[in-house]
Amino acid sequence: MARATRSGTRADAVVLAGCVVLSLLVTILPAPLRQSVAGAVRETFVGPLIRLQAQFERARGAFIERDLSAARLDSLVLRNADLTDMVRENDRLRALLGLGARVRSAFVPAEALHRPEMGEAHTVIVTAGHEDGVVERSAVVAPEGLVGTVIGTEASTSTAMLWTHPDFRVSAMSADGSAFGIIGPHLADAPARFLLELRGIPFRDSLPAGMAVVSSGLGSVFPRGIPIGTVLEELETGEGWSRTYLVRPMVMPADVTIVMVLLPMTERNDLSAVWSSPASADSARQAIRRGADSLAAPAGGPPVTPGSRPPP
Amino acid sequence: MSWLALVRGIGLFLLLVVLHYTVRPLLGMRVTADFLVIAVLVTAVQVRPGVAAVIGLLTGVISDSLTPLSFGAGALALSTVGFSASWLKAAVFGDNVLLQAIFIAAGKWAFDVLYLVAERRLSFAELAVQLAFWSPLSGLATGLAGLVVVALFRRSAERTR
Repeated sequence: MARATRSGTRADAVVLAGCVVLSLLVTILPAPLRQSVAGAVRETFVGPLIRLQAQFERARGAFIERDLSAARLDSLVLRNADLTDMVRENDRLRALLGLGARVRSAFVPAEALHRPEMGEAHTVIVTAGHEDGVVERSAVVAPEGLVGTVIGTEASTSTAMLWTHPDFRVSAMSADGSAFGIIGPHLADAPARFLLELRGIPFRDSLPAGMAVVSSGLGSVFPRGIPIGTVLEELETGEGWSRTYLVRPMVMPADVTIVMVLLPMTERNDLSAVWSSPASADSARQAIRRGADSLAAPAGGPPVTPGSRPPP
Repeated sequence: MSWLALVRGIGLFLLLVVLHYTVRPLLGMRVTADFLVIAVLVTAVQVRPGVAAVIGLLTGVISDSLTPLSFGAGALALSTVGFSASWLKAAVFGDNVLLQAIFIAAGKWAFDVLYLVAERRLSFAELAVQLAFWSPLSGLATGLAGLVVVALFRRSAERTR
């Protein structure tokens, strides 16, 4: 009896050792391999759970916006019918002339699924995959600006690297086009960790605080003109040949739930006009909201393309 | 273990996994109950340590698939926590309600320690804050939620007996 118990305990210990070794092996796998294994698990066993999570995050968003919606409704009720019609007409025209028309390449609206409490905070799962036309290195944007880039795709989901990731880089320029550099995360302790650094600005160029920084389009990964942030101050780095600036980001990834994945550019590589005016930024916001509504429609539909309206 | 108990155990495990992916996104808070840890702990005390380690490993793989850059860290943490819980069950997991809550809270904290160390992402200061402040709060929330789950599970088990 005692011998059986001992051998059982030994077998348990061996199983634990096997599990630990397997887990450790997985943690040291090359990133692409890890990505593909995780993607395969995500697309098979975890797929229904991801869909559930997406629905509940949408429910939470709806709940949070409930008061806001009610307030908006109250204001609208106070207006007369003619004014309401005009506002609706204006909204329709804005939508028609907005982001969908300005962005020549197609885009896919999607939800960003976060893991709120702890652990890896530099990636999110995006609920659009290669079935929707998403490819690796597609830019992920929000109405306010750049969120990150796609680093792995599966059939219906993708993994996006947020700008907070230590490896994230984007070629950037000042909004007036006078200075070019490389944007990356500011690797300091919190709360400064949630800022960006604009490096490699030639010493002869200096940027004033408040200057907007946008993607430059160099390198062909990110289209030109996506807002990234605004300059806060110059950092002391000891590099004599270039300047480094601290940049306040336009988008805090934790706040982003609905995103837009830009598909490969076909006609032009400049999105400056999309974010250049309040009207177009508003249209971008509305386009993404419409996209969010369209997510409620059955999956597998075609990506939203310019000129086509998402299903209501 | 009877067939009925087995089916009930599997049902509870699946329910907790579903709760993990529905209740938490709904709350969207940094401190929430970790239903995956509860699922592994509640199952672990019913099975042999080796089986508990395998259940923890599989649950961890499911959890890690959403965080591909730290893939494997959750599997390592949950299999170790599952094994330890199963091994310690005779010593800790009795009829005392308070002990059960402490057991689940400690399991969650141990999971956080193993996960964050294996993940190797946080700096020392961030790790210290996480383990000294956020993880105990999460452990507390997980312990309370686990208590409710265990109480409901026991009541339903007694009713069907």
